[in-house]
Amino acid sequence: MSLVIKNLTKQYNQHKTGLTDYSITIEKGVLGLLGPNGAGKSTLMKIIATISKPTKGTLFLDGEDIVANPDKIRKILGYLPQDFGVYPNLNAYEFLEYIAAMKGVGGHGLRKRIDMLLEGVNLTADAKRPIGTYSGGMKQRIGIAQALLNDPKILIFDEPTVGLDPEERVRFRQLISDLADDCIIILSSHIVSDIETIADEVAIMKSGMLLNKAAQPDIIKLVDGKVFEALVNNDEVSGIRTRHQVIDTGRQKDKTRVRFIDRLPQPEPGAVAVNATLEDAYLFLTQNNN
Amino acid sequence: MRYIYSIIKADYLQRTRSYAFLITLAITFYAAYCFVPPPTAPYTTLNVVGYKGVYNSAWVGYVSGMMTAIMLSLYGFFLVNGGIKKDIDTEVGLIIATTPITNFGYLLSKMLSNLLVLLTIAGCTFVVSIIMFFVRTSGSPFIISNFIIPYLLFVMPAMVFISSLAVAAEVFLGRKSILQYIAFFFFFGALMANINEQKDETLAVIIDPYGIRTMTTSIKNLVNTQYHEHIEGVSLGFTFGSKRGFRIFEWNGITINGLFLASRLLWIMISLGLVYLSSFFFHRFDFKQAVSKKKKAPANEQKLATPAFAATGISRALMPPLVTDYSIIPFIKTELLLLVRKGSKWLWLITVGGSLSMLFAPVAVSHLYILPVLWFLQVTRLSELATKEETNRLHYFTYASYKPLQRMLPAQILAGIILNVALAFPLILRYLIASNGYAIFNVISGAVCIVLLAVCIGIMSKGKKLFEIIFFLLTYTITQALPVADYLGAMPHGNLIGYMTVILSLNIFLAVVSFVIRGYQSRHL
Repeated sequence: MSLVIKNLTKQYNQHKTGLTDYSITIEKGVLGLLGPNGAGKSTLMKIIATISKPTKGTLFLDGEDIVANPDKIRKILGYLPQDFGVYPNLNAYEFLEYIAAMKGVGGHGLRKRIDMLLEGVNLTADAKRPIGTYSGGMKQRIGIAQALLNDPKILIFDEPTVGLDPEERVRFRQLISDLADDCIIILSSHIVSDIETIADEVAIMKSGMLLNKAAQPDIIKLVDGKVFEALVNNDEVSGIRTRHQVIDTGRQKDKTRVRFIDRLPQPEPGAVAVNATLEDAYLFLTQNNN
Repeated sequence: MRYIYSIIKADYLQRTRSYAFLITLAITFYAAYCFVPPPTAPYTTLNVVGYKGVYNSAWVGYVSGMMTAIMLSLYGFFLVNGGIKKDIDTEVGLIIATTPITNFGYLLSKMLSNLLVLLTIAGCTFVVSIIMFFVRTSGSPFIISNFIIPYLLFVMPAMVFISSLAVAAEVFLGRKSILQYIAFFFFFGALMANINEQKDETLAVIIDPYGIRTMTTSIKNLVNTQYHEHIEGVSLGFTFGSKRGFRIFEWNGITINGLFLASRLLWIMISLGLVYLSSFFFHRFDFKQAVSKKKKAPANEQKLATPAFAATGISRALMPPLVTDYSIIPFIKTELLLLVRKGSKWLWLITVGGSLSMLFAPVAVSHLYILPVLWFLQVTRLSELATKEETNRLHYFTYASYKPLQRMLPAQILAGIILNVALAFPLILRYLIASNGYAIFNVISGAVCIVLLAVCIGIMSKGKKLFEIIFFLLTYTITQALPVADYLGAMPHGNLIGYMTVILSLNIFLAVVSFVIRGYQSRHL
């Protein structure tokens, strides 16, 4: 199964562009979308989820044009939007039955399917309570359960870990890994560590354009040997900022630990080369492509 | 005062930057145009039996001002009501509650922003009234004071009163908007009746926030003096099919006396007093009180400590086989469930009681009064039929579902129709026994009409407010027996088939518009 996106452009109005001439091919596995706010991640996901029409470009799923025939993908789609809501007066069972009806899932097995999903996201004990009384994390979990109702072949998760506590995030990553075997999972997040642990491939976006798409090690290679750390006096930090691309700083008593990407041929005195991470590569790409 | 100004400004901008407000403005322009009808029009807005006023600046200015005061009071309440609820829903209230602003300061700013919204609309009718003067008259001198005085002395106090009433209603009747609507419905009716029927002229001027009595008495006295008549009935409002007068009189406006000015000031003071009184009872976003008095089951601490996801995960292989079912029955079921769960038990009790009363009340009363009011009691249910996905941010799921336009929207419409027809069933049963097929058709057609109107306006305006205003006006005018508002065939019509065709065509038009716009919306998030 493959999703082929070619020259996709989304123009909201004269001054606002969501995507510009965006092309990407997505195969089975987990694709992590990384990018700053306004990069076009949600726009891309909405277009794939068929709730937004591109201004230009094509989107084919196994050769089928899904801009012209959105119902083709809707049957096999699981979508968790970034800012979704619920009907507060319905309980978890009723809500999932409702979503199941939207997805065209029915039959005698539906109840069992809902039971299993609720069990999977640990909401069985609260399933009879109105969703309006749920905490943010519980609502997010019911959102994850609804996305899986129709046994989707394409799963789109827009910022799925928002509202989840650290333990819930770890469990969620595990869940995604379990599901990734035979479907396409597209996942966006601001938290690079979430993407780092789950995604097979990473697509880095900025200002509606694709900066790079590759397997994680290949992306990290872009900054290999360029990342350093140095422990400097507090008043030296601003100087380093002018000379290098500072990734991170941390206070340590009267000194500051600075992590930076080296821009000059000769390294900073006292700086030590460190292993590059996806976050380093991400910041390198997004801050050097204007 | 500076922070009050900022709140008023933000509140005003937030309210006016909506489709609903734009549509309301468009309707207002049309209404203002209708306030000064041409001589050939089948209706009047100021009716003096047997007489006709000359269109001069006083007539145009005062009639326009008075009609604005009455009409805008009638629907303005619905338009501005909900300012505090918005702060609760958006949780901006939580931020406001932590600031040094006093309860009175906050409520006053809400009241003033309400007033600003209403005065914006009144400003439009003011401009249109001047334009209409030049359109409808020829050779009559243009006297600007005849336009300013009615807007200053009739419209302004009325709008101040309505603005503060909306704030007080929200404070005292909480978030139950339907309760506020019902209370206003009866309050407005009682106020108008009291103004019209008060025998004591002095008292009539004092109890009248609109100044209606001052104006009608002035006209009545002029006609009675000029023609030695004993006319009692001078009525304001849209009067259809009335016999046009033969005799002409020229009215030059009211005489402003101390009592009238004092009564204007009194209503402004009463309004401010109402806001001040409300400030003692304002919840200040204490959500235990503001959101619900029902006991919420607490998010169990013990449960939160358990793992968020089962250790076993979710195994697709163990799930039962996927069975597809694309029927709309489950949607209708859920939509009905949502309709039933919306609103409190006591409201259902009143609704069911009202419905059953149509088994025993005279058929004409049931059809003309009970049924429209009964349907109006469902206003908060109907108004969110096609807007609740967006309000609850569920439209991402809905629009990404399989054939949403062919399944979701019809289910919502059908659920609304089922509710309305079920409530009208006792009346339908009586018509069935009487073998009155036309009446049954009209009741069902009316049920469909009001649901499609709710859906269409909800989809177009992306909100509930506009439909609630229009539905209130419709219901009020029906209970005043105005045939033009008769969407449910409650009044006799000369050409019954023609009437039925009009309602049927309207239903088709509303349905087509709803589907076309929703179709566009579902692909352009």
